[in-house]
Amino acid sequence: MLQTYGPLLIFAAIAAIFPLATLWAAKFLRPRFTPTGDKTIPYECGIAPESDARGRYTVRYYVVALLFVIFDVETIFLFPWAVQFRALGLFGLVEMLVFLGILAIGYVWLWKRGAFEWV
Amino acid sequence: MPLSHVAFLILSAVALISGGLVVTRRNPVRAALWLIVALFSVAGIYLLVKAEFLFAVQIILYVGGIMVLFLFVLMLVNVNVSVRQAPFNRQWRVALATALLLLAELAYGFWRGAAPRLKALAPVAAPSHPLGNTQAVGMALYQNYLLPVELVSLLLLVAMVGAVIMAKRRFD
Amino acid sequence: MIPTQWFLLLSVGLLVIGILGVLLRRNVLVMLMSIELMLNAANINLVAFSQLWHAVTGQVFAVFVIADAAAEAVVGLALIVALFRNKETVNADEMDLLKW
Repeated sequence: MLQTYGPLLIFAAIAAIFPLATLWAAKFLRPRFTPTGDKTIPYECGIAPESDARGRYTVRYYVVALLFVIFDVETIFLFPWAVQFRALGLFGLVEMLVFLGILAIGYVWLWKRGAFEWV
Repeated sequence: MPLSHVAFLILSAVALISGGLVVTRRNPVRAALWLIVALFSVAGIYLLVKAEFLFAVQIILYVGGIMVLFLFVLMLVNVNVSVRQAPFNRQWRVALATALLLLAELAYGFWRGAAPRLKALAPVAAPSHPLGNTQAVGMALYQNYLLPVELVSLLLLVAMVGAVIMAKRRFD
Repeated sequence: MIPTQWFLLLSVGLLVIGILGVLLRRNVLVMLMSIELMLNAANINLVAFSQLWHAVTGQVFAVFVIADAAAEAVVGLALIVALFRNKETVNADEMDLLKW
Protein backbone atom coordinates (compact mmCIF):
# COMPACT_ATOMS: atom_id res chain seq x y z
CA MET A 1 0.00 0.00 0.00
CA LEU A 2 2.56 2.52 1.16
CA GLN A 3 5.09 1.36 -1.44
CA THR A 4 2.54 1.94 -4.22
CA TYR A 5 1.09 5.24 -3.10
CA GLY A 6 4.00 6.67 -1.12
CA PRO A 7 5.19 8.74 -4.12
CA LEU A 8 1.63 10.03 -4.56
CA LEU A 9 1.56 11.10 -0.92
CA ILE A 10 4.92 12.88 -1.27
CA PHE A 11 3.67 14.56 -4.45
CA ALA A 12 0.52 15.77 -2.67
CA ALA A 13 2.58 17.03 0.28
CA ILE A 14 4.95 18.99 -1.99
CA ALA A 15 2.01 20.38 -3.96
CA ALA A 16 0.46 21.63 -0.72
CA ILE A 17 3.69 22.97 0.79
CA PHE A 18 5.02 24.76 -2.30
CA PRO A 19 2.40 27.54 -2.61
CA LEU A 20 2.30 28.04 1.17
CA ALA A 21 6.10 28.30 1.36
CA THR A 22 6.16 30.68 -1.59
CA LEU A 23 3.60 32.98 0.00
CA TRP A 24 5.41 32.82 3.33
CA ALA A 25 8.78 33.60 1.75
CA ALA A 26 7.28 36.45 -0.29
CA LYS A 27 6.29 38.12 2.98
CA PHE A 28 9.96 38.78 3.72
CA LEU A 29 10.93 39.84 0.20
CA ARG A 30 8.21 42.33 -0.71
CA PRO A 31 8.23 45.95 0.44
CA ARG A 32 6.18 46.58 3.53
CA PHE A 33 3.22 48.94 3.22
CA THR A 34 -0.55 48.77 3.56
CA PRO A 35 -2.41 49.35 0.24
CA THR A 36 -4.80 52.29 0.15
CA GLY A 37 -7.07 54.00 -2.37
CA ASP A 38 -6.71 52.81 -5.96
CA LYS A 39 -4.39 49.99 -4.90
CA THR A 40 -7.29 48.09 -3.30
CA ILE A 41 -9.62 47.96 -6.34
CA PRO A 42 -9.49 44.78 -8.51
CA TYR A 43 -8.03 46.46 -11.63
CA GLU A 44 -5.65 49.15 -10.53
CA CYS A 45 -5.37 50.84 -13.93
CA GLY A 46 -8.37 49.52 -15.83
CA ILE A 47 -12.12 50.00 -15.95
CA ALA A 48 -13.63 50.65 -12.54
CA PRO A 49 -15.79 47.68 -11.41
CA GLU A 50 -19.51 48.40 -11.63
CA SER A 51 -20.93 45.90 -9.17
CA ASP A 52 -20.17 43.07 -6.79
CA ALA A 53 -18.76 39.89 -8.33
CA ARG A 54 -21.10 37.67 -6.32
CA GLY A 55 -24.34 38.41 -8.14
CA ARG A 56 -26.15 36.34 -10.78
CA TYR A 57 -24.38 35.24 -13.92
CA THR A 58 -26.10 34.21 -17.12
CA VAL A 59 -24.24 30.98 -17.75
CA ARG A 60 -25.76 30.42 -21.18
CA TYR A 61 -24.10 27.09 -21.88
CA TYR A 62 -25.32 25.41 -18.70
CA VAL A 63 -27.44 22.92 -20.67
CA VAL A 64 -24.21 21.76 -22.28
CA ALA A 65 -22.75 21.40 -18.79
CA LEU A 66 -25.74 19.25 -17.77
CA LEU A 67 -25.24 17.03 -20.81
CA PHE A 68 -21.49 16.87 -20.22
CA VAL A 69 -22.06 15.05 -16.92
CA ILE A 70 -24.27 12.47 -18.68
CA PHE A 71 -21.59 11.74 -21.27
CA ASP A 72 -18.99 11.74 -18.50
CA VAL A 73 -20.80 8.77 -16.97
CA GLU A 74 -20.74 7.08 -20.37
CA THR A 75 -16.95 7.48 -20.51
CA ILE A 76 -16.63 6.02 -17.01
CA PHE A 77 -18.41 2.90 -18.25
CA LEU A 78 -16.26 2.74 -21.40
CA PHE A 79 -13.01 2.66 -19.45
CA PRO A 80 -13.22 -0.76 -17.67
CA TRP A 81 -14.48 -2.27 -20.93
CA ALA A 82 -11.49 -0.89 -22.82
CA VAL A 83 -9.10 -2.29 -20.20
CA GLN A 84 -10.59 -5.80 -20.58
CA PHE A 85 -11.30 -5.52 -24.32
CA ARG A 86 -9.41 -8.68 -25.30
CA ALA A 87 -10.78 -10.83 -22.49
CA LEU A 88 -14.38 -9.82 -23.16
CA GLY A 89 -14.14 -10.42 -26.90
CA LEU A 90 -17.04 -10.10 -29.33
CA PHE A 91 -19.66 -10.42 -26.58
CA GLY A 92 -18.31 -7.38 -24.80
CA LEU A 93 -18.12 -5.44 -28.06
CA VAL A 94 -21.78 -6.11 -28.91
CA GLU A 95 -22.76 -5.23 -25.35
CA MET A 96 -20.90 -1.95 -25.54
CA LEU A 97 -22.39 -1.16 -28.96
CA VAL A 98 -25.89 -1.59 -27.49
CA PHE A 99 -24.89 0.70 -24.60
CA LEU A 100 -23.54 3.33 -26.98
CA GLY A 101 -26.49 2.88 -29.37
CA ILE A 102 -29.02 3.78 -26.69
CA LEU A 103 -27.04 6.90 -25.83
CA ALA A 104 -26.59 7.74 -29.52
CA ILE A 105 -30.39 7.88 -29.89
CA GLY A 106 -30.38 10.48 -27.15
CA TYR A 107 -27.55 12.36 -28.82
CA VAL A 108 -29.40 12.53 -32.17
CA TRP A 109 -32.54 13.71 -30.38
CA LEU A 110 -30.56 16.40 -28.56
CA TRP A 111 -29.02 17.59 -31.83
CA LYS A 112 -32.41 17.74 -33.58
CA ARG A 113 -33.98 19.63 -30.69
CA GLY A 114 -31.15 22.14 -30.74
CA ALA A 115 -29.90 21.55 -27.21
CA PHE A 116 -26.38 22.40 -28.33
CA GLU A 117 -27.37 25.77 -29.81
CA TRP A 118 -26.29 29.00 -28.15
CA VAL A 119 -29.36 30.38 -26.41
CA MET B 1 -1.47 1.16 15.00
CA PRO B 2 -0.72 0.63 11.29
CA LEU B 3 -0.35 3.66 9.08
CA SER B 4 -3.44 2.78 7.03
CA HIS B 5 -5.57 2.91 10.20
CA VAL B 6 -4.22 6.37 11.05
CA ALA B 7 -4.95 7.50 7.48
CA PHE B 8 -8.49 6.12 7.72
CA LEU B 9 -9.15 7.96 10.99
CA ILE B 10 -7.83 11.26 9.59
CA LEU B 11 -9.83 10.90 6.36
CA SER B 12 -13.05 9.98 8.14
CA ALA B 13 -12.66 12.88 10.58
CA VAL B 14 -12.22 15.25 7.62
CA ALA B 15 -15.24 13.71 5.87
CA LEU B 16 -17.49 14.06 8.93
CA ILE B 17 -16.38 17.61 9.80
CA SER B 18 -16.71 18.90 6.25
CA GLY B 19 -20.05 17.08 5.93
CA GLY B 20 -21.24 18.96 9.00
CA LEU B 21 -20.01 22.22 7.50
CA VAL B 22 -21.98 21.50 4.28
CA VAL B 23 -25.16 21.40 6.32
CA THR B 24 -24.42 24.43 8.50
CA ARG B 25 -22.83 26.95 6.12
CA ARG B 26 -25.16 29.82 5.26
CA ASN B 27 -23.61 30.52 1.85
CA PRO B 28 -24.45 27.68 -0.58
CA VAL B 29 -21.19 28.19 -2.50
CA ARG B 30 -19.22 27.48 0.67
CA ALA B 31 -21.42 24.43 1.30
CA ALA B 32 -20.52 23.19 -2.19
CA LEU B 33 -16.82 23.74 -1.57
CA TRP B 34 -16.98 21.84 1.74
CA LEU B 35 -18.82 19.05 -0.05
CA ILE B 36 -15.87 18.85 -2.44
CA VAL B 37 -13.55 18.39 0.57
CA ALA B 38 -15.82 15.62 1.90
CA LEU B 39 -15.90 13.90 -1.50
CA PHE B 40 -12.11 14.06 -1.73
CA SER B 41 -11.69 12.40 1.66
CA VAL B 42 -14.18 9.67 0.71
CA ALA B 43 -12.06 9.18 -2.43
CA GLY B 44 -9.04 8.77 -0.14
CA ILE B 45 -10.91 6.05 1.76
CA TYR B 46 -11.56 4.25 -1.56
CA LEU B 47 -7.84 4.36 -2.22
CA LEU B 48 -7.16 2.88 1.24
CA VAL B 49 -9.25 -0.21 0.47
CA LYS B 50 -7.50 -0.53 -2.91
CA ALA B 51 -10.56 0.46 -4.94
CA GLU B 52 -8.50 2.49 -7.40
CA PHE B 53 -11.12 2.58 -10.13
CA LEU B 54 -13.71 3.94 -7.75
CA PHE B 55 -11.19 6.52 -6.52
CA ALA B 56 -10.71 7.80 -10.06
CA VAL B 57 -14.46 7.77 -10.73
CA GLN B 58 -15.12 9.71 -7.54
CA ILE B 59 -12.67 12.45 -8.49
CA ILE B 60 -13.46 12.63 -12.22
CA LEU B 61 -17.22 12.30 -12.03
CA TYR B 62 -18.18 13.64 -8.61
CA VAL B 63 -15.70 16.43 -8.10
CA GLY B 64 -15.00 17.20 -11.75
CA GLY B 65 -18.51 16.76 -13.10
CA ILE B 66 -21.30 16.95 -10.55
CA MET B 67 -19.80 19.55 -8.23
CA VAL B 68 -18.84 21.85 -11.12
CA LEU B 69 -22.46 21.57 -12.27
CA PHE B 70 -23.63 22.53 -8.77
CA LEU B 71 -21.41 25.61 -8.85
CA PHE B 72 -22.72 26.50 -12.32
CA VAL B 73 -26.31 26.39 -11.11
CA LEU B 74 -25.35 28.34 -7.98
CA MET B 75 -24.10 31.08 -10.30
CA LEU B 76 -27.38 31.03 -12.22
CA VAL B 77 -29.56 31.45 -9.14
CA ASN B 78 -29.03 34.31 -6.78
CA VAL B 79 -26.45 33.54 -4.11
CA ASN B 80 -26.59 36.98 -2.51
CA VAL B 81 -30.24 36.57 -1.58
CA SER B 82 -29.83 33.23 0.13
CA VAL B 83 -26.94 34.55 2.21
CA ARG B 84 -29.32 37.06 3.78
CA GLN B 85 -32.16 34.59 4.34
CA ALA B 86 -32.56 32.17 7.23
CA PRO B 87 -30.70 28.98 6.30
CA PHE B 88 -32.86 26.61 8.35
CA ASN B 89 -36.60 26.06 8.27
CA ARG B 90 -38.94 26.29 11.22
CA GLN B 91 -39.24 22.57 11.88
CA TRP B 92 -35.71 22.25 13.17
CA ARG B 93 -36.76 20.70 16.49
CA VAL B 94 -38.71 17.89 14.81
CA ALA B 95 -35.92 17.40 12.27
CA LEU B 96 -33.24 17.19 14.94
CA ALA B 97 -35.33 14.76 17.02
CA THR B 98 -35.96 12.53 13.98
CA ALA B 99 -32.31 12.47 13.00
CA LEU B 100 -31.19 11.72 16.55
CA LEU B 101 -33.77 8.93 16.79
CA LEU B 102 -32.43 7.44 13.55
CA LEU B 103 -28.87 7.78 14.86
CA ALA B 104 -29.83 5.96 18.08
CA GLU B 105 -31.57 3.24 16.09
CA LEU B 106 -28.60 2.70 13.79
CA ALA B 107 -26.17 2.77 16.73
CA TYR B 108 -28.25 0.14 18.54
CA GLY B 109 -28.32 -2.00 15.40
CA PHE B 110 -24.56 -1.64 15.08
CA TRP B 111 -23.91 -2.45 18.73
CA ARG B 112 -26.24 -5.46 18.97
CA GLY B 113 -26.20 -6.74 15.39
CA ALA B 114 -23.36 -5.77 13.09
CA ALA B 115 -20.43 -5.46 15.50
CA PRO B 116 -20.72 -8.90 17.25
CA ARG B 117 -21.40 -10.67 13.96
CA LEU B 118 -18.43 -9.06 12.28
CA LYS B 119 -16.27 -10.01 15.26
CA ALA B 120 -17.41 -13.65 15.05
CA LEU B 121 -16.69 -13.79 11.32
CA ALA B 122 -13.74 -15.92 10.21
CA PRO B 123 -11.31 -13.97 8.00
CA VAL B 124 -11.95 -14.56 4.30
CA ALA B 125 -8.96 -15.74 2.30
CA ALA B 126 -7.76 -13.43 -0.43
CA PRO B 127 -7.81 -14.87 -3.97
CA SER B 128 -4.47 -16.33 -4.99
CA HIS B 129 -4.22 -14.63 -8.39
CA PRO B 130 -6.02 -11.32 -8.02
CA LEU B 131 -6.70 -9.20 -11.07
CA GLY B 132 -5.89 -5.51 -11.05
CA ASN B 133 -8.76 -3.46 -9.67
CA THR B 134 -9.96 -1.88 -12.91
CA GLN B 135 -9.66 -5.21 -14.70
CA ALA B 136 -11.68 -6.97 -12.01
CA VAL B 137 -14.36 -4.25 -12.13
CA GLY B 138 -14.45 -4.53 -15.92
CA MET B 139 -14.91 -8.29 -15.85
CA ALA B 140 -17.65 -8.09 -13.21
CA LEU B 141 -19.44 -5.22 -14.97
CA TYR B 142 -19.52 -6.73 -18.44
CA GLN B 143 -19.95 -10.40 -17.58
CA ASN B 144 -22.07 -10.64 -14.43
CA TYR B 145 -23.91 -7.33 -14.60
CA LEU B 146 -24.84 -7.10 -18.28
CA LEU B 147 -28.43 -5.99 -17.80
CA PRO B 148 -27.72 -3.33 -15.14
CA VAL B 149 -25.12 -1.78 -17.46
CA GLU B 150 -27.62 -1.53 -20.30
CA LEU B 151 -30.18 -0.14 -17.87
CA VAL B 152 -27.69 2.56 -16.86
CA SER B 153 -27.59 3.74 -20.47
CA LEU B 154 -31.40 3.83 -20.50
CA LEU B 155 -31.35 5.81 -17.24
CA LEU B 156 -28.87 8.25 -18.75
CA LEU B 157 -31.08 8.61 -21.84
CA VAL B 158 -34.08 9.45 -19.67
CA ALA B 159 -32.02 11.88 -17.58
CA MET B 160 -30.75 13.58 -20.75
CA VAL B 161 -34.24 14.04 -22.20
CA GLY B 162 -35.70 15.12 -18.87
CA ALA B 163 -32.94 17.65 -18.21
CA VAL B 164 -33.25 19.29 -21.64
CA ILE B 165 -37.05 19.46 -21.51
CA MET B 166 -36.97 20.88 -17.99
CA ALA B 167 -34.23 23.37 -18.73
CA LYS B 168 -35.69 24.78 -21.92
CA ARG B 169 -39.33 25.33 -21.06
CA ARG B 170 -41.33 27.76 -19.00
CA PHE B 171 -44.45 26.38 -17.37
CA ASP B 172 -47.03 29.09 -16.75
CA MET C 1 -6.91 -4.47 6.87
CA ILE C 2 -9.03 -1.69 8.33
CA PRO C 3 -11.87 -3.07 10.53
CA THR C 4 -15.22 -3.09 8.76
CA GLN C 5 -16.89 -1.71 11.91
CA TRP C 6 -15.09 1.62 11.41
CA PHE C 7 -16.52 1.95 7.92
CA LEU C 8 -20.01 1.25 9.24
CA LEU C 9 -19.67 3.94 11.92
CA LEU C 10 -18.39 6.49 9.39
CA SER C 11 -21.26 5.76 7.03
CA VAL C 12 -23.81 6.06 9.86
CA GLY C 13 -22.34 9.47 10.67
CA LEU C 14 -22.42 10.69 7.07
CA LEU C 15 -25.97 9.37 6.57
CA VAL C 16 -27.30 11.19 9.65
CA ILE C 17 -25.55 14.41 8.60
CA GLY C 18 -27.12 14.09 5.15
CA ILE C 19 -30.58 13.48 6.58
CA LEU C 20 -30.17 16.49 8.87
CA GLY C 21 -29.26 18.58 5.85
CA VAL C 22 -32.34 17.52 3.91
CA LEU C 23 -34.66 18.07 6.87
CA LEU C 24 -33.17 21.32 8.14
CA ARG C 25 -32.12 23.43 5.17
CA ARG C 26 -34.40 25.65 3.13
CA ASN C 27 -32.16 25.96 0.08
CA VAL C 28 -32.98 23.20 -2.42
CA LEU C 29 -29.42 23.14 -3.73
CA VAL C 30 -28.01 22.39 -0.27
CA MET C 31 -30.66 19.68 0.10
CA LEU C 32 -29.39 18.07 -3.12
CA MET C 33 -25.83 18.29 -1.78
CA SER C 34 -26.96 16.50 1.40
CA ILE C 35 -28.43 13.75 -0.76
CA GLU C 36 -25.00 13.38 -2.35
CA LEU C 37 -23.55 12.97 1.16
CA MET C 38 -26.04 10.17 1.89
CA LEU C 39 -25.19 8.40 -1.37
CA ASN C 40 -21.52 8.56 -0.38
CA ALA C 41 -22.37 6.97 2.97
CA ALA C 42 -24.00 4.07 1.13
CA ASN C 43 -20.97 3.75 -1.14
CA ILE C 44 -18.61 3.55 1.84
CA ASN C 45 -20.63 0.58 3.12
CA LEU C 46 -20.52 -1.17 -0.25
CA VAL C 47 -16.77 -0.67 -0.53
CA ALA C 48 -16.17 -1.85 3.05
CA PHE C 49 -17.92 -5.16 2.43
CA SER C 50 -16.17 -5.50 -0.91
CA GLN C 51 -12.91 -5.30 1.06
CA LEU C 52 -14.16 -7.76 3.69
CA TRP C 53 -15.15 -10.47 1.21
CA HIS C 54 -12.32 -9.78 -1.26
CA ALA C 55 -15.00 -9.51 -3.92
CA VAL C 56 -15.32 -6.69 -6.41
CA THR C 57 -19.16 -6.76 -6.47
CA GLY C 58 -19.52 -3.99 -3.92
CA GLN C 59 -17.35 -1.70 -6.00
CA VAL C 60 -19.41 -2.46 -9.10
CA PHE C 61 -22.54 -1.44 -7.23
CA ALA C 62 -20.79 1.69 -6.01
CA VAL C 63 -20.11 2.58 -9.66
CA PHE C 64 -23.82 2.15 -10.37
CA VAL C 65 -24.68 4.36 -7.41
CA ILE C 66 -22.34 7.07 -8.69
CA ALA C 67 -23.92 6.87 -12.18
CA ASP C 68 -27.30 7.19 -10.53
CA ALA C 69 -26.12 10.16 -8.49
CA ALA C 70 -24.98 11.87 -11.69
CA ALA C 71 -28.36 11.34 -13.37
CA GLU C 72 -30.14 12.56 -10.24
CA ALA C 73 -27.98 15.67 -10.01
CA VAL C 74 -28.53 16.52 -13.69
CA VAL C 75 -32.32 16.21 -13.52
CA GLY C 76 -32.50 17.82 -10.08
CA LEU C 77 -30.46 20.84 -11.12
CA ALA C 78 -32.48 21.27 -14.34
CA LEU C 79 -35.63 21.22 -12.21
CA ILE C 80 -34.17 23.80 -9.83
CA VAL C 81 -33.29 26.11 -12.72
CA ALA C 82 -36.80 25.71 -14.15
CA LEU C 83 -38.33 26.48 -10.76
CA PHE C 84 -36.09 29.48 -10.27
CA ARG C 85 -37.11 30.87 -13.66
CA ASN C 86 -40.76 30.65 -12.72
CA LYS C 87 -40.82 31.43 -9.02
CA GLU C 88 -37.56 33.37 -8.45
CA THR C 89 -36.73 31.35 -5.36
CA VAL C 90 -34.61 28.35 -4.39
CA ASN C 91 -36.22 27.84 -0.99
CA ALA C 92 -38.13 24.61 -0.51
CA ASP C 93 -40.76 26.13 1.79
CA GLU C 94 -41.69 28.81 -0.74
CA MET C 95 -42.47 26.27 -3.47
CA ASP C 96 -46.02 25.62 -2.31
CA LEU C 97 -48.12 25.58 -5.49
CA LEU C 98 -49.50 22.14 -4.66
CA LYS C 99 -50.23 23.04 -1.03
CA TRP C 100 -53.80 23.80 -0.17
